[in-house]
Amino acid sequence: MLIAQVIVNWLLLGCLYAAVALGFSLVWGIMNIVNLAHGAFILVGAYAAYWAFTQLHIDPFLGLPLTMLLLFCLGWLVQYGAINRVIRAPFLVTFLLTFGLDLLIADVVQLLFTSDRRSINTVYSGLGLTVGTLHIPFDRLLAALIAVILTAALSFFLQRTRLGNAILATGMDRDAARLMGIRIDRIYALTFGLGAALAGAAGAMLVELYPFDPSQGGVFTLRAFVIVVLGGLGTPWGALAGGLLFGLAETVVPLLPGIGPGYDDAIAFALMVLVLIFRPRGLLGKAFYA
Amino acid sequence: MMGGEAMIPICSYLHLPQCYLAQPGHNQPLPFRPIAAVPPRLLLPLPTVLFSVLLAFLCATGLLACGGTASSSNTLLFGAPISLTGSTATEGRLTLEGYQLWVKEVNAHGGIKVGNTTYQVALKYYDDGSSPTRSAQLTQQLITADKVNFLLGPYGTSATLQDEAIAERYKIPMVEANGAAKAIFSRGFHYIFGVLSPASEYAKVMLEAALSLPNPPKTVAIISANDSFSEEVASAARDFASSHGMEVVYYQTYPSGATDLTGILTALKTSAHGAVPDMLLGSGHESEAVTTMKECKQLNINAKLYAFTVGPATPDFITSLGPDANYVLGSSQWTPQERYQGIDFFGTPANYERIYKQTFGHEPSYQSAESTAAGLAFQYAIQNAGSIDPQKVRDALARLNIMTFYGVIRFDATGANTFKPMATIQIQHGQVATVYPKEVANAQLLYPTPPFSQR
Repeated sequence: MLIAQVIVNWLLLGCLYAAVALGFSLVWGIMNIVNLAHGAFILVGAYAAYWAFTQLHIDPFLGLPLTMLLLFCLGWLVQYGAINRVIRAPFLVTFLLTFGLDLLIADVVQLLFTSDRRSINTVYSGLGLTVGTLHIPFDRLLAALIAVILTAALSFFLQRTRLGNAILATGMDRDAARLMGIRIDRIYALTFGLGAALAGAAGAMLVELYPFDPSQGGVFTLRAFVIVVLGGLGTPWGALAGGLLFGLAETVVPLLPGIGPGYDDAIAFALMVLVLIFRPRGLLGKAFYA
Repeated sequence: MMGGEAMIPICSYLHLPQCYLAQPGHNQPLPFRPIAAVPPRLLLPLPTVLFSVLLAFLCATGLLACGGTASSSNTLLFGAPISLTGSTATEGRLTLEGYQLWVKEVNAHGGIKVGNTTYQVALKYYDDGSSPTRSAQLTQQLITADKVNFLLGPYGTSATLQDEAIAERYKIPMVEANGAAKAIFSRGFHYIFGVLSPASEYAKVMLEAALSLPNPPKTVAIISANDSFSEEVASAARDFASSHGMEVVYYQTYPSGATDLTGILTALKTSAHGAVPDMLLGSGHESEAVTTMKECKQLNINAKLYAFTVGPATPDFITSLGPDANYVLGSSQWTPQERYQGIDFFGTPANYERIYKQTFGHEPSYQSAESTAAGLAFQYAIQNAGSIDPQKVRDALARLNIMTFYGVIRFDATGANTFKPMATIQIQHGQVATVYPKEVANAQLLYPTPPFSQR
């Protein structure tokens, strides 16, 4: 029964990690920007959900669309106002810009909310389905389901809608897309906004499950990076695959005899190195983006 | 369009139900290269961008913003790197408040009298971002650039281990209040003094409290962060528990700062011969203590007693866990309920609590109290030395033996304060209560903890 519980933990955590990486993967794939401010957007999402919960008594899951809308606007503004100005500059410049944004946003969050640890306790936290000794917490299950739904929705949006296709086209060949009449700056702002909205959703779900403080943005940027490399760019499902693989390193591997949880980061990064050696495109990546 | 790239009609992309990365079967990177054909006005000049980022970085790490005032002739300047951001930001802020309260009160009481001169006291601090290496750099900066007279400690064992080496090199005495590992005092350094009880006491006092119960827990699971302080505490706990008839059924370390502990908690759930152990003892930091409680609830792990070395004593613990914080045990270097009669201007723990609340608007934690005590140690050592010479003050610190609101401050040969006992606290009805030792307790230990579903 322990094994069943471990597998359940793994699946739930893996899906949650997919949500953490989804927006990061989109922005990197379409715009070739390694968005170091991704963790900061997660942070804003988490604190927005926390604020809505404590001040307006809106449940983080029910308030998810609101959080995503807020983050979409923030992402749109950041892209339109700042990143679009340096989008054609060398890679390092966008890298530095998003790094600066990360520090700025994290510090603003800290100013507003202080560095105290925050956490949400809903009435249903701790409830769950119990089958024998197997226990599936509701809040984690819900978060995992939402993560899968978001992944599927993003995939559908990109493949099946005109706007999504325009995003894909822009990602494939910016200049050709422009010749076809696509407004590149708006597509970029839309993409970045979507990326931020997905980060916000991840943040809102994380704050429900874990205590949160403003220093944690960087942790999640790093994780998103590893997950995207593991899963591969190119499709939202890559983030899910990467998330599951990363979750494996954190939930299952520590329980193997003789290893222990002290090594979970080492294992995750070793996995990343292995993937880079044997399958540089990532698990589901269509082609590795240079 | 970039030179050399084939022009492909956009429709051929759109009809392919594929990625947003590259054309399938086409291993060339996309023509997404920068520069060329860029209207130059779109680009911010690189130096401008670099400069802004650097500026943002400096602001963020606190290099540009710091507290304190410059040293003047009759001012003694105390320096401290403190974690105001990062993983131990909460504890760092409490540390800072402890120092600030001491500075405020010592100046309000006329400063420190040395011979015929009276010195006012000033504090210069930097945010080390919870990074020990950064802390060491800042210690160096405080000594060489800011010319501080004396050093107060950073928050945490790891940072203290780094900083004490710098203090030793420059022969500047450092009284630290927030690093309890034996390692700090076992390196043969002469300029480091710690006012707090050593690491081995943290878990011992809680296990003693548990063993004092009429029907004590029989099995205990110990989980620990993998930093040197937490591991030292955990291994001392294991030795103490097994030598006092408690069976240690699970012992595991996890990476310091871990955000998810479901892996080891799942293993722990069945570790006591297929059942949940009677007692769960966590040795780590506040964030991990909160995570452990949240995940125990999520995974429906109901122990009879939860105990954490660090965490329950900080105000955040109760606010972030709400009712789930109840029944949790914590160890505390100091509680406002203790009955000391000190020679300092605070006098008693109760009086310290009152003044602290007036100043900062919230309850003091032990981190604040021990930090204030570090200031007191300096204050009396400087008075006893009759000099502000670092060497003489160091010698006076080594001889110091005073009773304060915080308890006795007296250092053994290594600089550790092994003479002060610790206390066990329990969260009861959202309040911190002292439950052990009996002489200072203001409440009974509530046991066993009801399951999460029945609270």
